[in-house]
Amino acid sequence: MGDDSAARLYQAFVSQDPAAAIAVIEGVRDSSSDKAKLFDSLFAPAMAMLGGAWAAGVIDEDTFTQASVVAEQVNSFVTPPATAHDTGITVLVGSMHRDVHSIDKNVIAAALREAGHRVIDLGVDVRPVDFFERAEETGARMVIVSAQMISTARAVSRIREVFEAQGRDDVIMLVSGGPFAADEGLARDVGANGVVRGAESALRLVERVARERFAGSER
Amino acid sequence: MPARPVDSVSPNGDSDSAAVSAKRPRRNPLFPIGVNYYPLDSESEAWDDWYAGDIAGDFAAFAKARMSVVRVFVSWKMYEPQVGQYSEVAEERLLDIIEAAREHGLQLVVCLFADDRLSDLLDVLWGKRRNPRSDEYLIQREVALVQRIVNRFRAERSIMAWDLANEAFCNGFSSTEEMRNWVETLRDAVREIDPERPILLSIDPETLFREAEIDAFAALQECEITVSHATASYRAYAAAGPIDSGPSTYLESFLLRSAARGMPVLLDDVGVHSLDYSLAEEAAAMRCALYSGLMNRATGVLIRRWRDLDTERREPYFLDPFEVLVGVHDTSGVAKPAMSELLSFSQVVSRLDLRRYTLVPERTGILMPAERKEPLPSLAGLFDPRACLEAYVSAKEAHIPVKVIHEEEPYEHISVIIVPSAFSLADQTWEHLGEWVQGGGSLILSYGGGDTHPVVRDLFGVEFLGDGGSRRRVTCRVAQPDVLGPLTSFDATLDLPAFALLGQGGATVVATDAKSSPLLTLHNQGQGRTVFVAAPLERALAQGRHRVPPEAIRSLLRTVYGAVADAAGCGGPLVCDTPVVEVAVFSSDIDDVVLLLNHSAEKVTAGLACERKVATIADVRGGSPVDVGDTSFGVPLGPNGAAALRLSYD
Amino acid sequence: MRSRSKHVKLAEGLARQEQIAPAVEACYQALRVGEIDPLVYCLLAELMLSGDFYDEAIFAASRAIELDSGCSPAYLALGLAYDRRGGMWDQSILVWHELAEVAPELVTAHVQLGEAFAATAFEEEAIASWRRALELDPKEARAMYDLAIAALKREGMATALPGFRKAGELDPSQDALFFTLAGASGDGQPTPVLSEVAPERGSRLEAAYVLAHEEDLFSAAELVRLILDEDPDDAETLGLASYLYLKQEAVDEAMACALRALTLSTRTPTAVYCLGAAFAKRPGLSYHAARVFDALAKLVPSKPMPYVLLAESLLGLQRYRSAGESYRAAVNLDPACVRARFGLAAVLHTEGRHSEAEWEISRAAYHDTRRQKLFWVLYDDYAEGRA
Repeated sequence: MGDDSAARLYQAFVSQDPAAAIAVIEGVRDSSSDKAKLFDSLFAPAMAMLGGAWAAGVIDEDTFTQASVVAEQVNSFVTPPATAHDTGITVLVGSMHRDVHSIDKNVIAAALREAGHRVIDLGVDVRPVDFFERAEETGARMVIVSAQMISTARAVSRIREVFEAQGRDDVIMLVSGGPFAADEGLARDVGANGVVRGAESALRLVERVARERFAGSER
Repeated sequence: MPARPVDSVSPNGDSDSAAVSAKRPRRNPLFPIGVNYYPLDSESEAWDDWYAGDIAGDFAAFAKARMSVVRVFVSWKMYEPQVGQYSEVAEERLLDIIEAAREHGLQLVVCLFADDRLSDLLDVLWGKRRNPRSDEYLIQREVALVQRIVNRFRAERSIMAWDLANEAFCNGFSSTEEMRNWVETLRDAVREIDPERPILLSIDPETLFREAEIDAFAALQECEITVSHATASYRAYAAAGPIDSGPSTYLESFLLRSAARGMPVLLDDVGVHSLDYSLAEEAAAMRCALYSGLMNRATGVLIRRWRDLDTERREPYFLDPFEVLVGVHDTSGVAKPAMSELLSFSQVVSRLDLRRYTLVPERTGILMPAERKEPLPSLAGLFDPRACLEAYVSAKEAHIPVKVIHEEEPYEHISVIIVPSAFSLADQTWEHLGEWVQGGGSLILSYGGGDTHPVVRDLFGVEFLGDGGSRRRVTCRVAQPDVLGPLTSFDATLDLPAFALLGQGGATVVATDAKSSPLLTLHNQGQGRTVFVAAPLERALAQGRHRVPPEAIRSLLRTVYGAVADAAGCGGPLVCDTPVVEVAVFSSDIDDVVLLLNHSAEKVTAGLACERKVATIADVRGGSPVDVGDTSFGVPLGPNGAAALRLSYD
Repeated sequence: MRSRSKHVKLAEGLARQEQIAPAVEACYQALRVGEIDPLVYCLLAELMLSGDFYDEAIFAASRAIELDSGCSPAYLALGLAYDRRGGMWDQSILVWHELAEVAPELVTAHVQLGEAFAATAFEEEAIASWRRALELDPKEARAMYDLAIAALKREGMATALPGFRKAGELDPSQDALFFTLAGASGDGQPTPVLSEVAPERGSRLEAAYVLAHEEDLFSAAELVRLILDEDPDDAETLGLASYLYLKQEAVDEAMACALRALTLSTRTPTAVYCLGAAFAKRPGLSYHAARVFDALAKLVPSKPMPYVLLAESLLGLQRYRSAGESYRAAVNLDPACVRARFGLAAVLHTEGRHSEAEWEISRAAYHDTRRQKLFWVLYDDYAEGRA
């Protein structure tokens, strides 16, 4: 980054020239190795200059306002994205057949989606064969099954059976829900590879599985 | 695993099957290939030469070419020379046809009321020029004729379906209601005698609406099978330009997808319209259409005609939207290159067991707005279908399994909806879209001009500030690289009819124009996500087709479509690095069949990447498998070339 | 028509002073002398509730309602007792519904009814109740927190978080933090007249804080300008300028002023707060906001609000466990911090600990009604109406 880029950005703000502001940002972005720090290294110093110029009376109130409008218009170029980049990892999420509890599933699915994973939410009361069919269709190799009742939690073993019967031993099945949190042995019994204990746990587990098991093979 | 059909073969062409092949041509009962068999082959013939040619010889040739369906056309004029008196000659000729079909194992689609523009099929001598579509007396006579024919042949197993009318006939209806009444009456007449056999109406709803402003939806609901085809005038309207590249090469499948609406669709009238194309162009068009049909869930294909019409007394280039001139043989009966394409395609189809191999479900839909049916001065009818076709091409270039959906339909099993440059949608549609996004749907909508609907603010997280008017250039500055795929900044020349000026309402601005007005925004809404494109890019591409469309804009659209579909888990089943190559994957428990179609007139090598390591690749038609041992490989394709490959995995 | 007896007045006075044991004794004394008055049972219910004696509170409140079905404070006590006792959500729904009938303009009744519906998984009905509450009072923060929790259950944190932030902005405690950081309470001081403010920095700044507190933003801005004209590098004044811009939703100007202030002095707490608040308004800047609020929490470790703000930024970064810790720090500093309790409930939902989340919400409800002195408002209205 050239030393004067923040000053040039400040000048573009004050000149009310968004095209010039974008050109400065794109120039720095193209030549910078750390694009994620554009806000700190470029935008924030330019804004501090703007605040200083207003405080010192170098620019009047109207110019300050107009310059801020330009800053607002281009801030999407320097602000990190609110939604993470696509990780390419597809995760099927659903509540077990005959289980209509949805909160855990919804919260986990949304967190994974926000983290950039490709989440296919199959909804509640999902039959084991539906997990398999959507995994085949989407190429997903990770499934999170939610079950909140002991009877439906036990029945999760049927999902593993379906996958195994079709030769899909490679599919990682994670389980979530009160019965599994209370008894880790149950998760092993139904053939799960791990227990998800909420959204952050899901994020960590999915990332770990992707890193350790699928490294380099996800699109 | 379902049983294999008796006439299919093993993946690698085992010897037993090959022996069977020598005795009898292989066909695929789940994907019939057929031909329209017209009554006359020369303009010098008279109306009463109706099927006076070598029927047995022709049917033998059909069978040899692995055909399984033949559509024949009843001549009312021939059949009922006087009121209530039916011609024995006509009945005998129809019987000859049926016997020929039976002998060669062919199925017939009997079209009862057709206008083939040559044979005067409908012009009954006693009709006194009354309209056969609306005149009550003539309709009574039509009912009588239909019931006589159906009654006579209802036990005949070689008749596959009754086709009430072709599009040339239906084009003469004066209103939607008139057509619906006629179809209902004739359908009831058939059903009274033959309650089981499928009934169809060989019209394509989009082309018919374009030509006659008749909405055939209700009439088609009366049928069990529908058809799709590109008429000459629809092609000129929607896909003007070279016949051997997009969007023209996508038109058949676009119309096929549009016609489907949950019904089986026969891809009809495959082949070029006019005799002014070269033999190579005819072959390329044939290949594109045939593979497009198979790759896009046609239930079968019918080629336009068998033998070229021998035109004597007028310009061969005369263009009539419903004229049928070009066959796969020349007037002397010599097979043209298009025939080779047909035979090659037949071989592929015969080796694809559609009970074992299934296409990946399409969970992305291009939404056809209902406004396109509004009359002028609404411009929607002029622009929307073209914009939808452009969107369809872009989705295909992104290798997304895509279908066409209609605004008034429920969006069942759809995860991504693309609304390309619509002027407006119905309030109810907005409500449905809002709920659908909230529940996890991904919506891509490009601004169509005028005011936006109030729900746009919440749904897309943008504040609509007004239409900035037309522009001659499209500028794109990428604010958030990689959020919607690998976008790049560009400047391109393209006439944009409108540009939405947007304020911040919570969405992420992914790209702007040169002066920072948002061009592309992404918003997470409920469990779903929405993308707003601030300009009607699809419509602009369609309008600017007389020039070479800027690749940057095509690239922008396919990148955005692809990124959204991928994130929604409904992207292509394998990665292809060549946009112009359409990919369809037929999956089975054991192996996959990949069909590739090059939509350009240039040679290309399509780089494909699979998730699993591919052990071998073999041509579906047979031959030795080639070892791959990798997840990626390249497939060379000639101009408009197609390939059908069987992939086995480690 | 009846007035309050001296026994009732004695019990009431003691209860208002939160002298629970003598107040309970006074209530029983009133009952012993034959004062079978719903007011006595109401007071008794409230007192029992204060001591976490839920069954006794339920009995007393029920008795008050038996005596007079229009006794609104008894419904409040009964509903809160049911909610806090747990496992009695069906009865709770009926009570809050009754209170909403008896006092249809009472916003809290609708909020509570919604929470009771939500606890029994009647989500649609719950949302309708909170919407009704917001129709009555668009600034009802608790209904907005509840709606954010409902959004979390259906659509996850990304949808819920803006709701928490929006509700938080309605919460006066966030502005209060700014004035605390500035060392200017603002309360109780006479409104300065611009022309009478002494022309020196200290007087101007003090007056500007008072004007800002009273939301006379333009007058405050005039004073800020005068100070900056004399010293454009006055970091504290730039911090106030940033606050004034924030209050006018001018986020970029606020950011510019705060950044300039921090360039001059990194330890300007008001500027740190304003920078964090500006960052928090940009969804992509959660990391930056968390960094700033973390620094603020270290600067003023005794204040709960920086921990709440830090926690909300951590939610934006999907660091739910850390957010929970930060919320807990806030709750420890101020158990009545409704915003922190709801935030904690959200975190607990993300961890699948739904019953604990419901408990936090019912605690928030209790503290919120206490903060509003709602029982006494209803009690006085009821007593007056009866008289």
